[in-house]
Amino acid sequence: MITAETLHPQPRRQQDAAVETFRYDNRVVRAFAIATVVWGIVGMTAGLLCAVQLFFPGANLDFQFITFGRLRPVHTNAVIFAFVGNGMFTGIYYSLQRLCKARMFSDKLSWLNFWGWNAIIVAAAITLPMGFTTSKEYAELEWPIKIAIAVIWVAFTINLLGTIVKRREKHIYVAIWFYIATALTVAVLHIVNGLEVPASMWKGYSIYAGVQDALVQWWYGHNAVAFFLTTPYLGMMYYYLPKAANRPVFSYRLSIIHFWALIFIYIWAGPHHLLYTALPDWAQSLGMVFSIMLIAPSWGGMLNGLLTLRGAWDKVRQDPVLKFMVAAVTAYGMATLEGPALAIKTVNSLSHYTDWTIAHVHTGALGWNGLLTFSVLYWLFPRLYNTKLWSVKLANYHFWIALLGMMFYVIPMYIAGITEGMMWKQFTKEGFLQYPNFLQTVQQIIPFYQLRAVGGTLYIFGVWLMAFNLWKTARSGVFVPEEEVQAVSFRSQPDLHGEPAFSHRWLESKPILLTGLALVAVLIGGMIEIIPMIVIKENVPTISSVKPYTALEVMGRDIYIREGCLACHSQMVRPFRSETERYGEYSKAGEFVYDHPFLWGSKRIGPDLHRVGGKYPDAWHYNHLDDPRSTSPGSIMPRYSWLLTQKLDTSSLPARIGALRRVGVPYPAGYESQALDDLNKQADKIVANLKGGSVKTTPDREIIAVIAYLQRLGTDIKLAPKPAVADASSGLHASN
Amino acid sequence: MHQIIDKLGGIEAFGIFSICLFVVVFTGSMVLAFCLKKPFLKNMSALPLEDERVHAKNSNPPIL
Repeated sequence: MITAETLHPQPRRQQDAAVETFRYDNRVVRAFAIATVVWGIVGMTAGLLCAVQLFFPGANLDFQFITFGRLRPVHTNAVIFAFVGNGMFTGIYYSLQRLCKARMFSDKLSWLNFWGWNAIIVAAAITLPMGFTTSKEYAELEWPIKIAIAVIWVAFTINLLGTIVKRREKHIYVAIWFYIATALTVAVLHIVNGLEVPASMWKGYSIYAGVQDALVQWWYGHNAVAFFLTTPYLGMMYYYLPKAANRPVFSYRLSIIHFWALIFIYIWAGPHHLLYTALPDWAQSLGMVFSIMLIAPSWGGMLNGLLTLRGAWDKVRQDPVLKFMVAAVTAYGMATLEGPALAIKTVNSLSHYTDWTIAHVHTGALGWNGLLTFSVLYWLFPRLYNTKLWSVKLANYHFWIALLGMMFYVIPMYIAGITEGMMWKQFTKEGFLQYPNFLQTVQQIIPFYQLRAVGGTLYIFGVWLMAFNLWKTARSGVFVPEEEVQAVSFRSQPDLHGEPAFSHRWLESKPILLTGLALVAVLIGGMIEIIPMIVIKENVPTISSVKPYTALEVMGRDIYIREGCLACHSQMVRPFRSETERYGEYSKAGEFVYDHPFLWGSKRIGPDLHRVGGKYPDAWHYNHLDDPRSTSPGSIMPRYSWLLTQKLDTSSLPARIGALRRVGVPYPAGYESQALDDLNKQADKIVANLKGGSVKTTPDREIIAVIAYLQRLGTDIKLAPKPAVADASSGLHASN
Repeated sequence: MHQIIDKLGGIEAFGIFSICLFVVVFTGSMVLAFCLKKPFLKNMSALPLEDERVHAKNSNPPIL
């Protein structure tokens, strides 16, 4: 039974202890909260526009800046870093001050965090539609913005740790451990994955290539989910759920095991994004095993959250805050059960590259992150404005609309994913592919894409209702910018429990040590996975026939990246009969040694392109890019007609060649001066080929470079063995 | 590829080492968690509820 004595044991309150008066900063919390709502609407609307383009390609209005490939990273970055990012800062800045019984370490750092972070988001919203992208998922922003992110993140981390150091509460509550793990790990992930050599202000090349790049990227990508979308929200769950339910957390013991097991295991699981690819088998198996083990801490955390509501379930019927929280924690449980299931190789062989993955991530994003963010905002606004929520009824409507929206989103995507996976693998009795034309599988799932857009619309409508409700709440109250409070000073608090040194209680009073141990826990997994890959790079000979891209192909590849082609097309033929029959020889690790960055992709809205080189004439590619439906009736690919008219900017070619050489591509010294001549020769050859196909164009158009790149894809291993690529001066070749 | 990695020197050790390390971390956290005394656990689990009831001068109204 919970009593006042349980909640506030008398020994903690020393009547004669020094009591200090101080103020919590609510201004920055409000700023982050407003930004959360605004960016939520922006990010989700971008997502809806993406969704509509998948059944109505003309929805981009033939406007390159909002075409699917460029808009998708705008959507993912906006919802992850803008919506959830600002939501995370809202939750942390409010709860951290109260759990530490201290104002934030520095108001200046708080505002640097707010303005810097949101300026970065604005920069992303401008640069991504312009095609300035690294192509690495959730790390698309180019190097100047990446540096800005690192600076702002360091400011946040200093502010976080500084507040913890100057706290008035002896022991650091579990929510804060999760915040610490978030700050440290995101910094490490961002820096390691973001290492690039710049070729220009808005173009850089990953220092990693092919398999190494894929492993580092998905080590980052998976742990961005873990340490940006999960751990800070778990910390928020441990603070806001007890607050909303007015119940202490179910088991503090369980929270300790939850924390250490989760942060330790999560970092190992990244390779499950690369099952059956050219990644070495040992790394795949390690990723799979640790992914399955993740069920235990994840469900431990979920149960700890749900059981905190013991004795308070009657409140859930009335209180929309608790409704949102229960649904969010349940969605977390579902997503963290499904995630390990998808990491099992046999399941993954069906689910990977399909819409099943989209359903999975949206269970987490719409359910866990979205609903928990809404609950925190509904809980917070009345407190920030010292009033009551304007309309509980409207918040309840929001809950049901959001839930309905989620259902309309994820259920069609599950059906679409399984349908795609099975159709791709289906053989006839005679041993031929049942659906050899990829478009047959695309046409089958268009109704589900339409239903998904209905779900997304409902979900966004709910967010608008929330925005209105919160605005009316703010209007009905008076903002409390500074909350004056009192607490016993840190030094006046006696050591009451007599726990020995090196106990967890002791550890909880040592923030620096706790931070150090958390850092060690998250670093070990990454190091064990990544270091062998670096060793392999030095020991595995490249396939001798694999050569660096020609100058024109480099330019074409960069346009492929600019347009976000990998959002729909993978470049990784897995070693399944269904794939080798459809696409050709399965992909080998040695084929990607000059791929800075790797472009394996993670979703097949269109077919894999790794063996597309030489499959179609140049004129087919020209016509297909101009109007995909002219060559492939029923295709949902957007038109890329601007590639036919835009002039290829070759002024940056020498810088690109130089940067690629610095990351390890063996272009001979001085090749920059020869590159343009080679480019022109190859372009002339393609124009001549096109003329044969009744297509008239000039060699200086962007489409020529794209065709050169596409025709090169996957063709190297078809060539007869040649001398090692170390001598690339004679190795550069054109495929046309 | 697998054969080449094998030659690097006992790649199977990575898997065994990883699992052993996890067992150590998991067992360690279990031991630390179960060594904690009940008054401390009660105190800590109720920590989020303290600020509104004890310290805040301006009381925040409930949502409903």
